[in-house]
Amino acid sequence: MTGIVIEGVTRSFGTVRAVDGVSLTVGDGEFFTLLGPSGCGKTTLLRMIAGFCELDGGEIRFGTKRIDKLPAHTRDIGMVFQNYAVFPNLTVAGNVAYGLKARRVAGADLAHRVDEALALVQLAGYGERWPHQLSGGQLQRVAIARALVIRPQVLLFDEPLSNLDARLRVSMRAEISELQKSLGITAIYVTHDQEEAMSVSDRIALMQSGKLEQVGAPAEIYRNPASRFAAEFMGTTNLLPEGALRPEALRLAADAPAEWPRLAGAIVRVEMLGPITRLDVRLADGTLVRAALLDDPGRPMIAGEAVALAYDPARVTVLP
Amino acid sequence: MTLSIPHQQRLPLAIAALGFAFLGLFLLYPLFNVFSASVLDGEGEKFTLANYFKVLGRPFYRGAVINTLTIGVAATITTTLMSVPFAFALSRLPVPGKAAIIALAAMPLVLPSFVSAYAIVLLLGRAGIFTQWLNSWGIGFGSIYGAGGIVLVYTLTLYPYVLLPTMAGFKAVDVSVEEAAQSLGSSPRRTLWTVTLPIVIPSILAGGLLVFIETLENFGVPFVLAEDLPIFAVEAFKLFIGETAPNPSSAGVLGVLLILTTAAVLLVQRRFLSTRRFATGARSAPPILQVGTGVRVAAAVYCWTVVLLALVPFFAIVVLSFMEFRGPVLHPNFSLENFAILFDRSIRPLLNTLLFATLAAIGVTLVGVPIAYVVTRVRSTMASVLDVIATLPFAVAGTVLAIGYVVSFNSGWLILTGGPLIMVLAYTVRKVPFAVRSSSAILHQIDPSLEEASISLGRSPLQTFGRILVPLMLGGILSGFVLTWVTVASELSATVVLYSGSWRTLTVVMFQALESGGGGVATAAASTLIVVTLLPIALLYRLIRRYELS
Repeated sequence: MTGIVIEGVTRSFGTVRAVDGVSLTVGDGEFFTLLGPSGCGKTTLLRMIAGFCELDGGEIRFGTKRIDKLPAHTRDIGMVFQNYAVFPNLTVAGNVAYGLKARRVAGADLAHRVDEALALVQLAGYGERWPHQLSGGQLQRVAIARALVIRPQVLLFDEPLSNLDARLRVSMRAEISELQKSLGITAIYVTHDQEEAMSVSDRIALMQSGKLEQVGAPAEIYRNPASRFAAEFMGTTNLLPEGALRPEALRLAADAPAEWPRLAGAIVRVEMLGPITRLDVRLADGTLVRAALLDDPGRPMIAGEAVALAYDPARVTVLP
Repeated sequence: MTLSIPHQQRLPLAIAALGFAFLGLFLLYPLFNVFSASVLDGEGEKFTLANYFKVLGRPFYRGAVINTLTIGVAATITTTLMSVPFAFALSRLPVPGKAAIIALAAMPLVLPSFVSAYAIVLLLGRAGIFTQWLNSWGIGFGSIYGAGGIVLVYTLTLYPYVLLPTMAGFKAVDVSVEEAAQSLGSSPRRTLWTVTLPIVIPSILAGGLLVFIETLENFGVPFVLAEDLPIFAVEAFKLFIGETAPNPSSAGVLGVLLILTTAAVLLVQRRFLSTRRFATGARSAPPILQVGTGVRVAAAVYCWTVVLLALVPFFAIVVLSFMEFRGPVLHPNFSLENFAILFDRSIRPLLNTLLFATLAAIGVTLVGVPIAYVVTRVRSTMASVLDVIATLPFAVAGTVLAIGYVVSFNSGWLILTGGPLIMVLAYTVRKVPFAVRSSSAILHQIDPSLEEASISLGRSPLQTFGRILVPLMLGGILSGFVLTWVTVASELSATVVLYSGSWRTLTVVMFQALESGGGGVATAAASTLIVVTLLPIALLYRLIRRYELS
């Protein structure tokens, strides 16, 4: 298939630089995620690739072919939208066939490919249904089938799971990532949910204020954030004088190796989340430290009591 | 490629360019000519303000201004007073036969108001049936000619303009706001006055404004009922017909004043409403209130009385058209003579009406729907300007636009006077705002990502418009088409200025019959017109119901 090259891409809306000199290379068949808070420019960048937003400067290439001046309908892209964007005036099969008909696929070939795509998203037999008869999860499957069936060079996902409930989100993201891997289509995925990004991506580009904050594999960004913003956006972070420390790098002092540095304080708040228990601990100097411990019925945590913690010095990230 | 217009803007730009060209030629250019006629001397050569001094210097025309405004304000007040309780009853009280009431209440909007005015004359005029019957009992009552009668007819025919938006307003009130007020200790009555009504006021005002503007522009009702009382639209018409100089300067002055008044009212309303948006985003309509039998009966009687009273004149016209007329005098014998005379003379007026209405409805759809697309989908100065220009015909009386057409297309490179096309164009331009409004209302509900999905799947923006947007908008486009058709069929104010020779319409036949005292032909034409307007509405109703069932 195709790799994507983004070079010095810039776009302003009024005085706001929505995308500010972004350069990226997405590998052939890679699942690449644009992650960041709302307004960071991730959606604008995706819409530039799709052809719904002009570039002020820079260029975008699929392989060696420059595409940023091409009309959107000639770019050969499969796009999945946040609100599904399933055509309400067409049946499920009509929706999936839409892009094929635009490519002048007809007859038995058309029917065969539609059935195949529906089977791929586990909607075999749903072809004659109308969109209003489907649930949100099923609608998003139709949207995915519709984007896949045209065998696009590039798949774009614009927060495809944010309208689904939490449980469905988790199962759908696994499905999306499996489908992408099995078809080997280069995919760019936009989300503001760092857990979702880490679960599906080969690599993540973390964005802030129109710029790239850090690009890397999920584990790399999580464990070695390049900035305070990256550290905090990727998960709860304790900012100690030594550097940033994830809550799960802390343990009760009684369970920790003797050489680990100790922190003593009082428990301010206890959050029992099932497998883990979260603690907010106020240290003697007033610093608030957050710890995440595996559930242990033998050691009940009670707010107000004193606690001694220790942390793994190897897991402290020094921020610039 | 040397063209540097970004590809996603090409379709909207192309549509906007065509829209500007069409509205520029057939709206702005004629209006400009009306304006320049008003500031040029009789020969159309020198700039002068003398026309304004001349027209406004005469008490007769000053009277026309004052009368028109007074009648407009009075009719706005009476329609509002009548419609707000009506709307409240329909949306919040248990009233039997609500669906029927709502369907009947919308009918005066499509029926020609001057027919209602004429019916009032036949019933309550000097030689009216009721008048004579009452006189035979020795009872007299005041004249229905003049301001009182005009306000009465406006109230009966224009009240749906207030009723319908106000009803929608009452239904959009989030009931939790009322519940909040009551939990804070406010009685239901106080809640109505301090919470519910204030939320609905923008809807009431929007409706009232429509009524006011309709009264300013209306030609037919004052023509039938005003007698010696000077009224704007009628006097502009008379001045124009009477002016012999090549430059219709006096008619131009009245036209300009009429446009300025409407524009001023629209601006005031925009300013007022821009700071008051109380949409509460109700998920479901508020519940029907539990009330005592007294209120229940009173509400039912009130609603049914108003809705039927407004339709009595139309019903009366249909009945009267089957009676014998000798000149303007009515005799209570059944007769088909009126229709025989009407259609013996010629069936052309009926055919013309059908033809013009169809062509104009097609024109309005072709112009209005694409403009609505640009106005809703593009955020730019260009789109806002197009929006304002496409709304402008709403503020222009038919008489004034028609005068502009005659001045503009009477000579030069584009001569249209004397043919049917000029009428169709005038109708099209006049109804464009309605098509733009109704289409953009639907477009606002269609998520733009549907279009993007279609484009990313390989359909060009134009194909996407045809394959996705048009099917999704079809219901709205169809209702817009029928509404245009129906209102064009009963159009009078532009028609009387523009018709010529064999291109008379039913409304012109009625107009001429009234002028010459031919009551029989007038009633026959009027009831034919009623049938012509109600048939497509009935068809549309059936079509929509079948569409919804499938």
